[in-house]
Amino acid sequence: MQKLIPLLNTSIVIITKVLLRVVVSVTLSTAVVATTVSAVEPQIFDKADPQGKLLVNSQLDHTQQDTYEQQLNPQQLQWLKSEFQPSTLSLAEQKKEMLWFQHKAQAFKGMEIRVVSERINTHQYEANVLAKAFFDITGIHVIHELTNEDDVIKKFSAQLMTGQRLYDAYISDSDLIGSHFRQQHVMSITDLINHHAKDFTLPTLDLSDFIGLAFTTGPDGKIYQLPDQQFANLYWYRSDWFANSDYQKRFESKYGYPLGIPQNWQAYEDIANFFTNDIGEIAGTKVYGHMDYAKSDPSLGWRISDAWLSMAGVGDKGLPNGLPVDEWGIRVEDCRPVGASVERGGALNSPAAIYAIEKYKEWLIKYAPPEAKQLTFSESGDWAAKGNIAQQIFWYTAFVPDYTKKGLSVMNNDGTPKWRVAPSPVGKYWQKGMKSGYQDTGAWTFLNHTPEENQIAAWLYAQFVVSKTVSLKKTLVGATPIRQSDIASDIMTEQAPYLGGLVEFYRSHARDVWTPTGTNVPDYPGMAGYWWQAISRIIEGELSVTDGMNALAAQIDQHLIRLQDQDLICGPKVNKQVKPSIWLNKPGSPKQLMPEEVKGKTLPFEEAINAW
Amino acid sequence: MLGKKLAYLLLCVWYLSINAVTSVSASEITVYTYQHVPFAEQTDAHHQGMIIDIIDELFTRANMEYKVIFNPLKRGLTMTARDQNVCVLPIVRTQQIESEYRWVGPILISRYGLFSAESKSIPLVTLQDAKHLSIGTYLGSGISEYLDSFRYQVQLTNEDGLNIKKLDRSRIDLWAAELISAKALMTQSKMQLGEPELIFHTSLRAMACNEALDVSKHQALVNALNEMYQDGFMAKINLAYGASL
Repeated sequence: MQKLIPLLNTSIVIITKVLLRVVVSVTLSTAVVATTVSAVEPQIFDKADPQGKLLVNSQLDHTQQDTYEQQLNPQQLQWLKSEFQPSTLSLAEQKKEMLWFQHKAQAFKGMEIRVVSERINTHQYEANVLAKAFFDITGIHVIHELTNEDDVIKKFSAQLMTGQRLYDAYISDSDLIGSHFRQQHVMSITDLINHHAKDFTLPTLDLSDFIGLAFTTGPDGKIYQLPDQQFANLYWYRSDWFANSDYQKRFESKYGYPLGIPQNWQAYEDIANFFTNDIGEIAGTKVYGHMDYAKSDPSLGWRISDAWLSMAGVGDKGLPNGLPVDEWGIRVEDCRPVGASVERGGALNSPAAIYAIEKYKEWLIKYAPPEAKQLTFSESGDWAAKGNIAQQIFWYTAFVPDYTKKGLSVMNNDGTPKWRVAPSPVGKYWQKGMKSGYQDTGAWTFLNHTPEENQIAAWLYAQFVVSKTVSLKKTLVGATPIRQSDIASDIMTEQAPYLGGLVEFYRSHARDVWTPTGTNVPDYPGMAGYWWQAISRIIEGELSVTDGMNALAAQIDQHLIRLQDQDLICGPKVNKQVKPSIWLNKPGSPKQLMPEEVKGKTLPFEEAINAW
Repeated sequence: MLGKKLAYLLLCVWYLSINAVTSVSASEITVYTYQHVPFAEQTDAHHQGMIIDIIDELFTRANMEYKVIFNPLKRGLTMTARDQNVCVLPIVRTQQIESEYRWVGPILISRYGLFSAESKSIPLVTLQDAKHLSIGTYLGSGISEYLDSFRYQVQLTNEDGLNIKKLDRSRIDLWAAELISAKALMTQSKMQLGEPELIFHTSLRAMACNEALDVSKHQALVNALNEMYQDGFMAKINLAYGASL
């Protein structure tokens, strides 16, 4: 009997909680049950792009059959009228979109699905606000977990390794595109739209409106991921200090050219020296001409693998990543990676790559605050917002919301920032026609082995958080635009003076030459770890820059060699090692040593912008 | 003269035996774990639990000698940081500590939930709904750091089981706990809280080894774990202990 008592208690607790839950559930959904019955006109969609046409054809059949028998209840309407404003859609159009979600979600009502993303402002908004709105509108309960960027990749890999269903969908960076198209673990968006989730694809999804779709498209033409947020890595500087006439005179008299937006690394270095050493203090506070981070941590790898080498000019000409050698220094022949070291035709230990890392290390030591060496990416993020940094060559625009808060010393009283972003300066090996910087999109990614109904329910949530109903508001919250319609909107024109040049960047052609890691990298999750480990050894002085880059190139080569044994589409076929001079004497990358220095060059902000 | 030879011989034997012992102990890996019902449990006579079974299989397949020592988690982490041939598990693997160890994992995939008191129901749609509530967890746990990083109102105890009593006495609103451990702790405390209000987090738990662990040993362990996933050993053991997601 005594043994039965805990069991009995357990049953009572469970029954009580279930009853409580039923009451709560009924309360939460009373409005949904009580909705009046009304038909909604079927929509006809007109898309110019091929995928759009395909959607039109597929949608016409079933939208004509659909009569949405519900209307939005007051609580659901409230989301539209308050939270989801402003929008590029009219309220009536928003209502139609939400009715579509409500209608299509009926089969999944009551389901719980689980998704994961990194923890930037945009995703916090999704996890805290949009997931709740989605629950209210559709009855699908989404647990949107937030974690660090490297953890998202680790969890993605763990799901593949263990076969356990950690998540129904991931928002992961498009840097993995080279892995997705080769390894085929991912259900492509193209297949979802055209086959698996054809009847659950939002008629107004409007793929052609997404500005980052090229980043998530494989060489096979398939779209593997749907962009959710997008950010760039730009040059950041204190426009108020640069406009100071005294500083302008002093800079020009010493360096022989005007203080302005640096167009090359020499000018960046001169400006760094000017503020750190020549100016030194402003209003009694020590100031620095450079900010960076270098703690041994996965984020140290991204500091370099996120296009730093391409900015130096390591790779080849050709967008988006350089052909045949990309910003990781990996050469590809007929879609197959053939090597990263110069000895195999790559450029990861080439003179240009060594120059790139030497400059990174030299500036860190000479011009950045001493604490920078012990900071990770996220720890260093808000440093420049404290007000003692003059410029930062490698600054993520995902930080815009954190840099535009009222009361910061880098903000004016009228809400405009004292800083701006501008095109990043490039290294001495860089030539026109090459990739200029890093941009990426965190994008919805679905694994093949996810059960169909979970995948479709997650697909509905993914489309909801990128829908035109919510995307402009989400852009204003997180400053990570994904849609051309949002970027071109009047609202963004009004907001431009308050966003420090972000809108100008996204309205320019620059967004085409700032690109993510490309398709030359066949196993991003497996290879990314080599970067931070190698750079850490260089920063700590354990290895010289040359030895460190030789070691890194050898590790990447060995990884490519191991991948040869796997049955990958466009799998590596690694070249035999030859004397470096054989490759260095050929045109393009890897490039021969350029001993001569270039003169610093700057431009006024307007001209720098026009160069975009 | 004979005496000198004998002494020399004895010295050689002693030297060789000491050397042999040293090389055996140098090649042996010390694995620290901690009382963590039902994953790892130390009774008077023996060690048991899912983690113990996994360690045994892992090191057997890697053809490596090992010994398991139960110690509090913090002590295990300290020892792992100090000595080359030492590992500790299960540790939540996160980006913040990625560079501090050599990792073998995942060993466990854990979900964490928010439990309310027996008599209460606190409906939660998102984790944000718990922002104004006090959440109990225990000192040094990964989940306390996670919640703290988002500025939730976290209250810490030295032992996780104490949070059940705190819930009962309304000293906290919610208890954040790993689901399987929570069940075991509820059974131990003879209190049943029912299902969690919200399952809000998933973590990867792995074996963390000293960062100077020999590369070939590390690779042997990684390969062994991969093999254990590929041939279904890990799926079976997860099922047996109710640890499948």
